[in-house]
Amino acid sequence: MSAKLETEVSHGWGGEGSPQTDAAAASLAMQADPQKAGAGRFVMSVQLLGFLLVAPALAIVVLLFIVPLISSITGAFEVDGAFSFGNFAKAFELYSSDMLFTLTIVLLSSGLICLFSIMIGGYLTLGSNPRAVALLRWIYRWPLFIPFIVVGQILRTFLAKSGLMNNIFIELGVLTPMSAMSFLDWRGIVIAFVWKQTPFVALLLSGAMASIDRSTIEAAQNLGANRLRILIEIVLPQVRTTLLVGLILSFVTMMSVLSVPLMINAQSPTMITANMAFRINAYRDYGVANALGLISLLMTSAVAWIYLRQTMREHSR
Amino acid sequence: MKAKLIASTLVAGMFCTSLSAAELTVLTAGDQNMVDYVNEYLGPLFEKENPGTKVRVVGTGPGDAGSQKILERFEAQSKAGVEKWDADVAVVHEKFVGPMVEHKFLEAYRGKIPTGSLVTRENAKMALGANVDGYVMPMFNSQTALAYNPALVPNPPKSYDELVEFAKKNPKQFGYNGIKGGASGVSFVMGWLYAYGGGDAQKLMKGPFDPSEAKNWDKAFASLKEFTRNATLTPGNAGTLDMLSRGEIAIGPVWVDMFYSWKANGQLPPEMKLVLPAPGMPGQPMHYVVPAKSENKELAEKFVALATSPKVQAEGIVKRFNWYPGIDAQHVQESLDKETWQKLFTDISPEDLAKYGKPFPIAPYNNAILEAYERQVGN
Repeated sequence: MSAKLETEVSHGWGGEGSPQTDAAAASLAMQADPQKAGAGRFVMSVQLLGFLLVAPALAIVVLLFIVPLISSITGAFEVDGAFSFGNFAKAFELYSSDMLFTLTIVLLSSGLICLFSIMIGGYLTLGSNPRAVALLRWIYRWPLFIPFIVVGQILRTFLAKSGLMNNIFIELGVLTPMSAMSFLDWRGIVIAFVWKQTPFVALLLSGAMASIDRSTIEAAQNLGANRLRILIEIVLPQVRTTLLVGLILSFVTMMSVLSVPLMINAQSPTMITANMAFRINAYRDYGVANALGLISLLMTSAVAWIYLRQTMREHSR
Repeated sequence: MKAKLIASTLVAGMFCTSLSAAELTVLTAGDQNMVDYVNEYLGPLFEKENPGTKVRVVGTGPGDAGSQKILERFEAQSKAGVEKWDADVAVVHEKFVGPMVEHKFLEAYRGKIPTGSLVTRENAKMALGANVDGYVMPMFNSQTALAYNPALVPNPPKSYDELVEFAKKNPKQFGYNGIKGGASGVSFVMGWLYAYGGGDAQKLMKGPFDPSEAKNWDKAFASLKEFTRNATLTPGNAGTLDMLSRGEIAIGPVWVDMFYSWKANGQLPPEMKLVLPAPGMPGQPMHYVVPAKSENKELAEKFVALATSPKVQAEGIVKRFNWYPGIDAQHVQESLDKETWQKLFTDISPEDLAKYGKPFPIAPYNNAILEAYERQVGN
């Protein structure tokens, strides 16, 4: 099988009478009489060919991902061409409160996303009104298709002090113009993140919930458990891993969003991404920007590590 | 390593651009209005005067980030040893001209074009402390000032001192965008340092740079932090204007040209006014530069000559886009009717502009002040 593949590939690449064609002919001959020819050599050439096949893709990954990553990591430890922790010292001196702010915002958003996506997924799985379920299923995915920058733009006018939201409340008589306040600060960022990322996690979660064994739910129903109890005690434990994966992917996405903090909250403290952009644009200071990047990489790695440990434990069971 | 990588990516990109001889590529930093200016006005005019040529404009994004991208593009092509660069004319912020001249990325062309002698202003010779004489032609001059809502502020503060008083009495009515959301906030902070920096403001604007100067700023930043507590922070240059038009703030620093354009478009109520407070706020020019390795140098010089001719400066820069002219005012004034000219000076008189329109601090002070702000006000 593999020899056949190899001949095809060789003919495709080499011209008539080229060394590759000869090699292919030789390896065909080897296959015809494997005992005579060295089987080891044949395996070698398949391995080499396999490598050649993935080489273009590998080169792209190395060139466009690994090399820039390594150069930005080494760049974080470089001040005026020498090894130094200076960039990190400066990053902590100037942006320690922003790091805390970023972590708090993203963790808080993840928590809210967790809550809302369980509510949505739970209702889609256990809801008793088919029309409400259909409507929810139709509507909840919309934010998935809206880019972060647009979310920032929409919310910037929606959440402002005299923005659409407050105007509606004032019209309804819930608020007075005097008591209206702007949400264009950390709350705006959290609202943007939750609004944008909840559908993503809910999509994964409702898929996982739909595929669990219905008989476990029915058994609980027969024993008289209410829906909330079924959701918490029967459904959630079975989809815990999916929920965790969704939340971790959301966490990493939110850590990397620049447009939302720039559009909604240019104040201080702000998110690390805004500081990285500022270091580069205002000072041409790639060193501290790299250090900040590495710090946010460490934050996401910590989360990824929790996830890995979790899956390892599941597998070892 | 990184530079090499960027360079090789750019070189790869270059093979994809067409190499027609009569195509003039203009890179421009700044907001969309900069791209519009070339696309809608200057480009077609140049193409009409030089049949067969095509002007292609590439916007690199607003603020310093846009100019930074142009600088990095030149840097990459220079390091890669590219013979013909992929830009013929670039429009960049003042702060980036110095490094470009220093690295020999630019052509000294001002003496070669007929309009070169129409510019005598100091900022065409020195750019934030760097000698750029001969390498730049100013496209326009821009200025920051305080925009206010006369309904809420009948007697606008005429100085930083009066503004501080105002903010104390009217908490959260003054809004600015900090230093990370655009240059109008940066400009307000620089003006604060000119007013309360303790030392000689002229030294900040002209140099020489002395790192120990920063010690004098502590008091200014402490008072700015106190002041900022009574202020509203807005999201960006446009954010300040937005909040002003919605009545959420009563006064805030803005770019004068943006202010007039927004007013002309109806994005800002017509009652809004401007005031330039003592001892002054900074403004800056945008400069036309020609890369040393431009493929169409002669055409590029012709393009800049047209762009800085009194007619174009009057019609395009002043009348259509509400910028202060780049070349000396008297040459432009002749080509404009009195009414249009007066519109530029409705709120800020030419005398006030001359007295309170300041340059930004020289580059090293500029960076030192921004970082000190991050350390002492922002953190």
